[in-house]
Amino acid sequence: MANHRVGETGLADSGPSTRSLINGTIGNTPSATNFFDQEGAAYFGELEEALMQGVDGLRETEDRNFYCNQPRNTRDLPIVANEISANSQCKVNTQSARSTDSGAAQNSLSHPESDFPNSRKASSDQSTNHKRPQEMMMASGASRTEAATNPHPSSQEETLRRLAQNREAAKKSRLKKKAYVQQLESSRIKLQQLEQDLQRARSQGLLLGVAGGNAAISSGAAMFDMEYGRWLDDNCKIMSDLRAALEAHLPDDNLGVVVDHCIRHYDDLFRLKAIVAQSDVFHLLNGIWKTPAERCFLWMGGFRPSELIKILIRQLDPLTDQQWMGMRGFQHSSQQAEEALSRGLEQVHKSLAQTVAGGSLSDGIDVGNYVGHAAIAMGKLADLEGFVGQADNLRQQTLHQLRQQLTTKQAARCFLAIGEYFTRLRALSSLWASRPQESLVANDCVVPATADPHIIHQPLHNHFSAY
Amino acid sequence: MHYQAASAAAEAWGYVAAARGATMDALERVERLAGESAVVIFSVSTCCMCHAVKRLFCGMGVSPMVVELDEDPRGGEMERALARILGGGGAAVAGSAAVPVVFIGGKLVGAMDRVMAAHINGTLVPLLKDAGALWL
Repeated sequence: MANHRVGETGLADSGPSTRSLINGTIGNTPSATNFFDQEGAAYFGELEEALMQGVDGLRETEDRNFYCNQPRNTRDLPIVANEISANSQCKVNTQSARSTDSGAAQNSLSHPESDFPNSRKASSDQSTNHKRPQEMMMASGASRTEAATNPHPSSQEETLRRLAQNREAAKKSRLKKKAYVQQLESSRIKLQQLEQDLQRARSQGLLLGVAGGNAAISSGAAMFDMEYGRWLDDNCKIMSDLRAALEAHLPDDNLGVVVDHCIRHYDDLFRLKAIVAQSDVFHLLNGIWKTPAERCFLWMGGFRPSELIKILIRQLDPLTDQQWMGMRGFQHSSQQAEEALSRGLEQVHKSLAQTVAGGSLSDGIDVGNYVGHAAIAMGKLADLEGFVGQADNLRQQTLHQLRQQLTTKQAARCFLAIGEYFTRLRALSSLWASRPQESLVANDCVVPATADPHIIHQPLHNHFSAY
Repeated sequence: MHYQAASAAAEAWGYVAAARGATMDALERVERLAGESAVVIFSVSTCCMCHAVKRLFCGMGVSPMVVELDEDPRGGEMERALARILGGGGAAVAGSAAVPVVFIGGKLVGAMDRVMAAHINGTLVPLLKDAGALWL
């Protein structure tokens, strides 16, 4: 930010100093020369290092309010170089004692001959208050012009040489500044694109958690996403507890406690879903809160119970005949219930479509009918909440029934299997998201799938560089 | 003439029947209807959840008797009576619609969520068999 100020306010603030510089004034004093002798080497070296490092060097000095206090000084350097070359030596001589304080500048402007004592005072203030690297430049300038104030013939050549050096340094710093600004610009563009990618990834449900001012997601949905993220973390812990309890061969009572805890945790999830269904049922229905692989199996805002039972029957293989029959019957009734709800949902879609297309679509809006139809359509959309609620009820009943139908140990394995199944689906989703997208890249740079448009610039450059 | 007399008699009979219906309050009517068949569903023709529950029973091979309250002149009262039967403690039926309501063997089973839970529990099928609505 301070660097930014270098670009802008530096120039703006250099107004008065520029004007004064046009008169060829620079800040330098004998006392500044002393300052140079004492600590000059260190500070001068620092400035050189800063210029060499370009951006990084400038950033390091940011903390010391380098530019905040003395924004004009860096501008002084190149301008000074120009102006000095434009002006004659005697002008430089007379304006040798110029401080960067505007007050002192006024003094030196109004009293060019007497500016020497004024500037000495001003620069002594400077040297005591500010230890800045560019002081050293000015001090070196001071040493140069100080030599110029002494009417010594050979020092004039020296002065010319040093002025040339100054010009070179100024040119270098100008180029560095240009490079830095360009780098800033490209970083800004990169940042914008990263933000877009983040937005996209978040909307795909790859990132759970609080969205920073994400306007595309309703507040109820954002709250749910956050709570769901927390639920997943807790679920992880419960799963490891369950696994530990199984492996420790705990007695059934203790194991049962852990299993019941697991079921209560699922009840919490259904409670959360019921809350978000009231404010934003479409968030549940579009499955954005689930990872992509889980979303393949989305049914009415969640998992399909009969699918889960089918998987579990295989996993819980040493089942008694009676248990096996019970589970198959369970699967069958679950399928019937799902079928009934699906048909009901189809009915909602059908009547919604009929309502929305009510009357003529191409003859323009009949306001009288429109309001009535809109009200009916709103009612149909509200019906969706009921269906999602019934589907979640079915899921919850399924989990409770599993607990009833199986022994404690079987139930523990069952819930462990459920947890592991969904964990694997989520892991698959992240694997998918981070797969290398070779199709988008011309040469051998491999990038993750979620970072999209700005990669395309690279292959284009590679194309053109071949010609 | 005979015909006229017969139709007059029929009209008179209908009038009596209607009058008798009018003296019954809605709750009694509901209960009377509920006992008329092994499986009775109180429904509204435009309600999609009612459609779902009908499909559930048909899918199981049961042919329920359906009372469409919006086609019954006293449907509104009956719907209110049903809501009273169901919703004592404000059990969160989404949308708080009274329908669908299912009676099996003249006894109340409940709204959609109860029916679903009963089916998952495995208690629905025995109930249907006992009422004679289902033969394996």
